[in-house]
Formats: sequence, structure tokens, C-alpha cells
Amino acid sequence: MAVGWLVGIDIGGTFTDVVAIRGRDMRTAKLASRPDAPAAAISDGIAAVGLALEDIANVIHGTTRVTNAIVEDKLPPVALIATQGFSDSIEIGRLRRHELYRLDVPPKRPPLVPAEHRFGVDERMSFQGEVTRPLNEHAIKQAADDVRRSGVRSVAVCLLHSYINPDHERALASALREVVPHVSLSHRVNPEAREFERASSTVLNAAAMPVAVDYIDEILSGSALEGRFQLFHSAGGYASPDVARERPLILALSGPAAGVAGTAALARARGEDTLLTFDMGGTTTDVCLVRGGQIEVSSGRSIGGRPIRQPMAAVETIGAGGGSIVRLTPGGLSVGPDSAGAVPGPACYGMGGTLPTVTDANAVLGLLDPATRLGGTITLDVEGAKRSLAPIADALGKSITETALGVHRIANAAMARALRRVTVERGVDGRRCTLLAFGGAGPMHATGLAREVGIRRIIVPVASSAFSAYGCLLSDMSYTQQRTIRLKGAAFDADALEQTRAEMQDELSRPLLDQGLARADIAMAYVGLARYDGQSEAIAVPFDLPFDHDRFAIDFNRQHHEIFGYAMDEPWVLEGLRVTASRPSGIALGSLESDLHDHAPDTVGHRDCHFDAGGPTRTPCLSRPSLAPGREVAGPAIIVDAWSTTVVPPGWMIESDSYGNLVMREVAP
Amino acid sequence: MNDVPRRAPSLPGEIDPFLIEVIRHALSAAAEEMSLVMTRSARSSVLREGGDLSSTITDADGELAAQGRDLPMHLGVMAYTVKHFLKRVPRERLRPGDAWLLNLPDIGGNHLPDVKLIRPIFHHGTLVAFAVNLAHWPDIGGAWPGSYYAEAFDSIQEGLRIPPIRLFTSDGVDREKLDFILANVRGPTEREGDIMAQMAATRAGERRVLELCDEHGADIVTATLARLCDLSEIEMREGLRAIPDGIYRGVDHMDLGGPGGGPAAVRVTIRIEGDEAEFDLSESDDVVTNHYNTTPFVVGSAVAYAARLLSGRDMQQNGGTLRPIRIVTRPGSLLDPGPNKPVVGGNHETSQRIVDAIFRAMEDVVPERISAGGPTTTAVLILSKPCDDGTWKTFFEVHGGGEGARHDRDGCPAVRVHLGNTGNTPVEMIEALHAVEVERQELRGGSGGDGQHRGGDGYAMTYRILAPRMMLTTCVDRMVVPPFGLLGGQNGKPYRLTLVRGEDGSEHAIPGVANLQVRRGDRIIIETCGGGGFGEARHGAALPG
Repeated sequence: MAVGWLVGIDIGGTFTDVVAIRGRDMRTAKLASRPDAPAAAISDGIAAVGLALEDIANVIHGTTRVTNAIVEDKLPPVALIATQGFSDSIEIGRLRRHELYRLDVPPKRPPLVPAEHRFGVDERMSFQGEVTRPLNEHAIKQAADDVRRSGVRSVAVCLLHSYINPDHERALASALREVVPHVSLSHRVNPEAREFERASSTVLNAAAMPVAVDYIDEILSGSALEGRFQLFHSAGGYASPDVARERPLILALSGPAAGVAGTAALARARGEDTLLTFDMGGTTTDVCLVRGGQIEVSSGRSIGGRPIRQPMAAVETIGAGGGSIVRLTPGGLSVGPDSAGAVPGPACYGMGGTLPTVTDANAVLGLLDPATRLGGTITLDVEGAKRSLAPIADALGKSITETALGVHRIANAAMARALRRVTVERGVDGRRCTLLAFGGAGPMHATGLAREVGIRRIIVPVASSAFSAYGCLLSDMSYTQQRTIRLKGAAFDADALEQTRAEMQDELSRPLLDQGLARADIAMAYVGLARYDGQSEAIAVPFDLPFDHDRFAIDFNRQHHEIFGYAMDEPWVLEGLRVTASRPSGIALGSLESDLHDHAPDTVGHRDCHFDAGGPTRTPCLSRPSLAPGREVAGPAIIVDAWSTTVVPPGWMIESDSYGNLVMREVAP
Repeated sequence: MNDVPRRAPSLPGEIDPFLIEVIRHALSAAAEEMSLVMTRSARSSVLREGGDLSSTITDADGELAAQGRDLPMHLGVMAYTVKHFLKRVPRERLRPGDAWLLNLPDIGGNHLPDVKLIRPIFHHGTLVAFAVNLAHWPDIGGAWPGSYYAEAFDSIQEGLRIPPIRLFTSDGVDREKLDFILANVRGPTEREGDIMAQMAATRAGERRVLELCDEHGADIVTATLARLCDLSEIEMREGLRAIPDGIYRGVDHMDLGGPGGGPAAVRVTIRIEGDEAEFDLSESDDVVTNHYNTTPFVVGSAVAYAARLLSGRDMQQNGGTLRPIRIVTRPGSLLDPGPNKPVVGGNHETSQRIVDAIFRAMEDVVPERISAGGPTTTAVLILSKPCDDGTWKTFFEVHGGGEGARHDRDGCPAVRVHLGNTGNTPVEMIEALHAVEVERQELRGGSGGDGQHRGGDGYAMTYRILAPRMMLTTCVDRMVVPPFGLLGGQNGKPYRLTLVRGEDGSEHAIPGVANLQVRRGDRIIIETCGGGGFGEARHGAALPG
């Protein structure tokens, strides 16, 4: 029986990346995105790797659809039901403003739900989950009437302390489902304490439901992939369409998480200890820490100025990328956060852009391939790049090349800040990490960024320009949830832990069982979120079953010391429980030994590149497939493939491993 | 008081401008990291939920070089802290591995609860910088739990006064000194956790600065620190030059403590001349009868913030910002009260009124750069519960209000403004951690002032007491003198505090500066202010009420 292909498709703002694998075969493609026609984009992607629908076993899809809808505020209207007296909490929020020294911008974003769509319902729970005001039938009916009259199609329900007792939210749900198609309950979306963050997440989820449902339905009806189609989620695995329809917020970090998940798979295959992902795109750069082959997971983040609390890959995003615009400031130069975007693009793309960008600096430095850039769709205009940088060079009294070097370096410094944050949060010394560079511009900036952070080893993975699509294939189907549990370390209530754990296991396993899996095939993973009594933020401490209280306390104290430099002989609290149910995919990096090292010409040519202010260096350009395993090449060198350029400056060595990954190391001090 | 340096700042060019930017990124990242480490591991809810803390890096002379994204109030004061610390502690006494604790208001400080930990950073034996973390402790001892004693007539009643002491050495914490401090504050376990978090924060800053020195050389890093200050000075001078020369006067009032117990005036005369400015606050009222006095360092912090907004320019806030500015205060006034006067509330109440007075002075000059009056108070409520073991459990909460309107937009509802930016505690956390139930948290409709652009609305909260007995402290200004409208806009509604006794339902107004006992079943209602409007309303009349 012929085994089908696994296809990973990552649809981003500009490009759609496709990676298909079957056994040891691998195919990749990159095409222009068609955000308005997702079904066609999927079909085109499959065709681009030379496959037909019947060849396919499974498609795993990373999408920015939900993320973009949130960032661009293109979400349909939504209503909110809250405990009476608290329907304004979503607008009051946490009081803090984003900008300390600016009055010209509003201090915070207005809530997604305007006051006329917010309704209080007469009920109340205590923080221990006891009903202090019952929810009666009349109140339920009133809430349903209010929502019906508001005319919206989505409603979010966020009642106080529902994370500890969801009965009232459940009681409202059935009545609400009779009046609107999309109902989102806070204890399902995010069963954790702190009502503003939970309400914000639930409202976003409710608003995203019609977006996700339409999107998924269009793909499935247009492509006949029903049963062979999954969506990549923020926590680094993939989910069934049914789960994504009910909880579309899990897609908020779909694309970036796929790259991180691919990194984790690569780390496991190569036995890498601590990796930092470095995904540099056109307008933003994403970085994340991967330790021991495991993704670092965070409890939430803000997207488009709105808090989203969900277990998700701890990706840090900064507004600096290839298209970031360079400006003169009193201190020298600033890079970003505004971007030239796809249109008009950098000056060197010759599409009307005149403002200098990081990409223009790279063009001046000779780092961009004049011939094959972006698959030949764009002709590189180096003179245009120089013209764009000239005013800045003149103002500073520097040459164009010196200015370009400065821009390249400042972009690296800005990205280094993000790298530092993800390492500091976890108590990791960044200098001991290996950088894993992918995305359009990642392999071009990797050595410069490494220098800012003190990193001396870099991996440019196989399929680096479509690595997020590849990452989709290297991950497991998985479901992750996090719940507030708040058990005191002293006089530990092991029964309560077991009860919650079992409930979460049931809930998270259900969609896997629905896919026809046996219970025995489902892998469970547990993380305790622990803190000292009175601390706010908990740290993640993995544990195995059966739960060993003393072992856990030791692990918690050890990790606290690792992150913060001290531990205390003090009562601790198990604040929350994070549970993951997964079906291991069995796909590992090692199985790929295809024709990657083909008979491509060895040296494509030479280019004049600027690595420092000392003048141009004649640099050989090698085609990526020509780097056979074991053949080490000393910098300076440029490694090119159809979609990206890896820069190897003097003082660095590069070689390919047996999987097709490029490994660079610094040899000079 | 500052002397105006007459020397012209040197022109850019000595250090590679690209390298300056690279180092600036790294230093800002280091300061941000410090606060991140602090927030994540601190113990008090005011620190971890509210973020009432700040971090900076100064050069070896104490000049502010980089700061986190924290509170403008703290950051402005820390421009003075290390400089004055060095006057008390000669640098010869500093050792690698030291961290010094300090809270005395007269040593570059603001009020006793804001405790600073100062870590000198040595690179190969040479002092190159300081990492400083400031954290608001919810209790620093003194006459009343929470350390906001309404009746205080001197500083000693306000809590434990800590002159610079070497609390950490390269061998670790000095246990005896730590125990001495913990014996004098309420909630010693929590405080110990906070101190350790401050230690971890300054150590993170130290590590980053040393990495930078290793990479670029200590001389380049220190030259860059100086350069960054010069650059901010250039920006500030450019900004001041663009403001028409002239003498501008403004006044606003604190609710209480002034002549006859009524409002106390904060008066400013601003003289703009070329690229320099003088902010003369000497005509402000005398020392007040409550704790709304404040230190000249707090005045400097408020002026630095306001001047930056008036300049209309973007700059890194550091020691250079204030160089073209002369600040005058009068000894014996509430802004220069001399040592040993109570100052706990002045730190976040009077400081904000300085910003208000400056804005009023510039109302006709640069109206597009300022905003109408808003919640320029931290609106502190503290509820302390006596525990069976003799310790106290303290709930410290701040309350924002409606932002003042601007020339081009309405004010935002429910925010913190200007020098403050601490957040609130989520209702679910209040109820889980304290013997308090929150009965409502709702916007206060119609509280914003009318105008061409409306002021933002405040909100109302009701707290019900669940413990048999708790100690309540208030520190809420803007209850009498309302947030002002600008250029014909209406004033916002002021704050209102009400106590509803559980036993008989009787209602009592609570003063803005008070300590009182509350009992189970009592309710405390706070209605927060609306912002002032901007410009005359097109429909020509204020809304009723």
C-alpha cells in the first residue's frame, strides 16, 4: 500500500511555504500568499510540490489568519456577559498605560466589546468556588434576551471565579447557544485567575470563532481534505478542525510556534541542549528558547495591545525585520518599528520604495544575491539602496558602506534585546546557547546577532526558508490546557490534585479519542506551576506520575534558584496545573536523507562583500546543495539557495550535517 | 537645586554613532531585565501585581544613564539617589559584590516605603556604573500598618529610616543587618522575599554591564554613558528653544494641609529663555500639616517629566534632560520642608500637582502638548488585617481615574497618568489573598468633564470587609479640588470616599488622608475622578450633574 505524503503549509502575510515529506523524500516550495482565498492557497501549495489530493495522508496548516484579525482589529462584533457589577472590568483593565512619556497616543486600547454589548448577570461565586448568589432561571433568560437584542453572533461569558467553579457559566451556555451560534466560556478558554486577562482572552476567542469557522469551512469544502487536515496551534502541536473552531485563540501564534516546534524536533535529533530560535522576517523577528528538545511555554502574551492568556510557545516578538525603516535620530540611527512592508518594500526591490531599510543595507554590503533573490521575482537594485542610505551617510559624515554596516549592526542590537529577554526569563546564559536561524533574513544576520550576544555556534536548518512549514510536520497532535488549582505545599491535598489532573486528562484526550486513537497511544505530560506563598508568578516545574510531593518541592527550589539566584525555606503553593495530551507523530528529523546533496555546481561565483570597514572582500558563493556532509568551508563565504542567503564572515567555519542542516562555528576570538 | 551648566555640549563624533546605539540598546535591555527579574520573584502584591518598582543604571558618578519602562516618578528621583549616596559613602568604601540598602528621603530619596538597593559595578577593579532597584514596600514600620500615618508630625513616625547600609557583600547577605530591618517592619517574611528579589535584580544589571565592558572596553562604555546624557541635553535644549521666550505662571492645589487646614497651593513660575528654562516653585505654600510635604528630588522628578512633554521631543530620559533646567524651591515650603518632616503622601500626590501647575502655566503656550487635569493622585487605600501571630497582612491598592482630554481626542477612562503607572490588583486576587470582597467595579458615567473633547470617566468600587477588624488608611487627593478643564473645557468630577457601616447602614464621608478602624460588614466605596474636558463644548452647555 502506498504511503501518503505529509504536507506542511504555512501561510504568512507575504509567502506561503510548503514542505512535503514521504519516507526519505522531501519537497519544498514557496509561493505568493493569497490571504483572500485560503482553499485555493492550500490547493496551489499542494500542486506546487507536484502532488495531487489523493497522494496526501495529512495536511498540517500554520496560519496567521486569527493573528492578523486580532492585530488589525478586523473581528466581528461580540457581546460579553459578566458577573453583575463587573461588566466594565474589561474596560477598566489594569489601569496601566503603554507609553510613559507620550500624551499624543491613547494610553490603552479601547475594549473589543463596547458598553452597549456588555451585560451583567445576577450571580456570584466566592474565591473558593462556593455559590454566594445563585444564578436563577430568570437571570439566565434575561441574559439570553439581552444578547439576542444586541444582534451579535458571538458571545463571551466570563464570571468571577469560574476557573474554580464553572457551574454558572455552564448554566448560561445552553440558553445562549439557542440565541447565537458562537458561545465562548471563560473556564474553557482559560481556566485561570485574574478576571481581566481571562475576559480579554475569552472575548477574543468569541470574536475569532466566526473567523475561524468560515476559514476552516472554506478550506475543507474547497479541498476535500476532511479528515486529513489539522491546524497548528500556539503551544507547538496541531489540533483538529473541531477544536480550532471552538477555541480559535489557540491559533494566535500558529506560524511562529511551528518554527519553534521544528527547532525542538531538530534539537532532539541532533542532541542539542539549548537552542535559541531566530526567525527574522520582513517586519518582525521572533525568538524563542528550546531546552533539552522541549519548547519553553509561557502562560500568555499580548497581541495587538490585548492580553491573551493561553499556554503558548514563549516566543518574543520585536518590531525589527528586513523591511524595517532606518531613521536618523539624535543618538545616531534607529531601526524600526515601522516597516516598508511588501509595498512599496525596500528601495533595493525597485518597487517604489525610497526609504532606507535593513535589507537595503544588506544589499549595499553585498550580502543579497543579485540574481536569485526571492526566486527571481525581484531584480535587485543596489544603486537604489545606496541612494536611499545617502542622506543618512551624509548627515553622519560616513561613507555609504560604513552606514550600511552600522545599520546592519543596530538591527542586530535591537534583536539581541529580544534574545536576552527570553534567556533571562528562564535563567539561561545566552552565550551558552546555539542560535538556530531561519526565515528570510535570519541566516544573513545570524553571525552578527551571535556576536552581540556572545554566541559562537549557529545552525541554519534544512529547509530554512520554509522552516515553519517543516516544523508543522515534525510535531505531534497535541492539546494543552492550564488551570488554576492553588494547593498549598504544606498539608498538601493530593486528592484535589488527582481529581483535577484526571479531569484535565479526560478533557484533553477527548479530541484524540475522537480521532480514533486508543487511550494507550496518548502520551500525557504534566507541569506544575509553583510559587512561594505570596509570590505572583509561578514557575513551570515538570513532574511525572505518581506525583511525588517531596521530589516536586526539591525541583521547585532548584529551579527557583536557577532562575532568580536564590531559594527560600518557605511555604510554596502549587498555583496551577498545565497538562498536555499528545499523539507522538513518529516523524523525526533523522529520516530525511534525500537527494539534498545533488550535483549542483560547487561555486556559483564570487561577490564583493563588506564584513567590516576595511573594504570589500572577494567572497566565494557556494550553492547550498554542494556542501556535502563533512566538507568544512572557511569564511568568508556566501551559501545560497533558491530563497535565502547564509552569510559566513571571516573567522567562521561552516559545514553540513547528514540531515542537511548547516552548522557554523566561530574559530577566531 | 541645580546649577545650570554653561558649557555647550560637545558635538557628536567622538564615539562611533552606531556603537552608541548598540550600547544604548544593551543598557536599556539591562534595566528592563532588572525589573523583569524583580516582578517575577517579588513577594508583595503591590510589587508583583501593581509593579510599584523601578530599575536604573547610572554611571560611576551616579548620573542616570538607562532606565526600565517603569514609573516616571521613581526614575526621576533615582537621577539623584546615587549622587547623594556617594556624598554619604565615599567610593573608596565600595567593594565588588556590595549591595547597599537606603530609604532616607534626604539622601536623594522620596519617601520611606520606597527602598533602594544600590549595587556598585566593578570591572577589573574599577568602578564603572551602579545598578539601582527601587521597590515600594507595603509596610516600612512606623505608627500605623501600611506606613501612611495621617497624624504624623515628623518622619520618625512614618517608619524605619535606613541610611546607606551595606546589606550584601560578596559573601552574601549580612544576616544581622537583615534581621534588624525585618524586626522593624510588618510582614517580615514577605519583606525578606522582596529584598532577595531586589538583590537578584541588581545582580542581573551588573552581569549585563560587565558583559558590555568585556565586549567593548570599559572606557568605551563609560564614554557612551556620558554621551547618552549629552544627547538628551541637546534634545531638551532644542525643545526649549522652540518654546516662545517668556514668563509663565501656573497654580494648582492640594486638597488639604494648607493655611487653615484648607487647600495648599503649588505655584510655579516658568522662565523660558533661549534653550534654557527656570522652574521657580518658591511661591508655593509653607510646610503642610499632613504628609503632603515632599523632597526637592521629587520636585526634580516632576519637572523632568513635565519639561520633557513640553519640549515635544523624544529623548532618552537620563541625567542630561535636566541640565538646561534650573529648579528653585524655597526652604520651609512644602516642596523643600527640610529633614524629618512627614513626606509619605507627597511623593505621589504633591509631585503630580507640580505637573498640574506646570501644565496650567503653559495652557495658552503649548496646549497641543498637554492634557486637561486627570487622576493626579495615586488614590491609595490600605487595609491591614491583624493576624493571630501578631503580624499584619497588608492590602495596598491604587485607583486610577479618567484621563484629561487633549486638543485632538477624548480622555481615556480608568487609567493612571503622568508620574504614576502602577496597576491595580485583579478582583479575583484581592478576594483570594485578603479578607475583602469586592462588590462592584463599574465605570462612573458622566464623571468626565464636558468639552470639545470630553474627559475620560472614572470608576467606582465597593469593598466589603470580611475580617472582624481591619485598619484602613487613605491617601487620596483630588477629592476637593477637581481635575481642571483646559481652554474652556469643564472640570472632571472629583474623587469621593464613603464608609457604609455594616451595623446600621449609616454613610460617612472618609477624608483623603486618614487612618481608621473598620469592622466586618462595613463597606468602603471609592468613586474615582473623571478627567477635565478640553475646549468649549460645541453644544455650549455642560452636562447636568
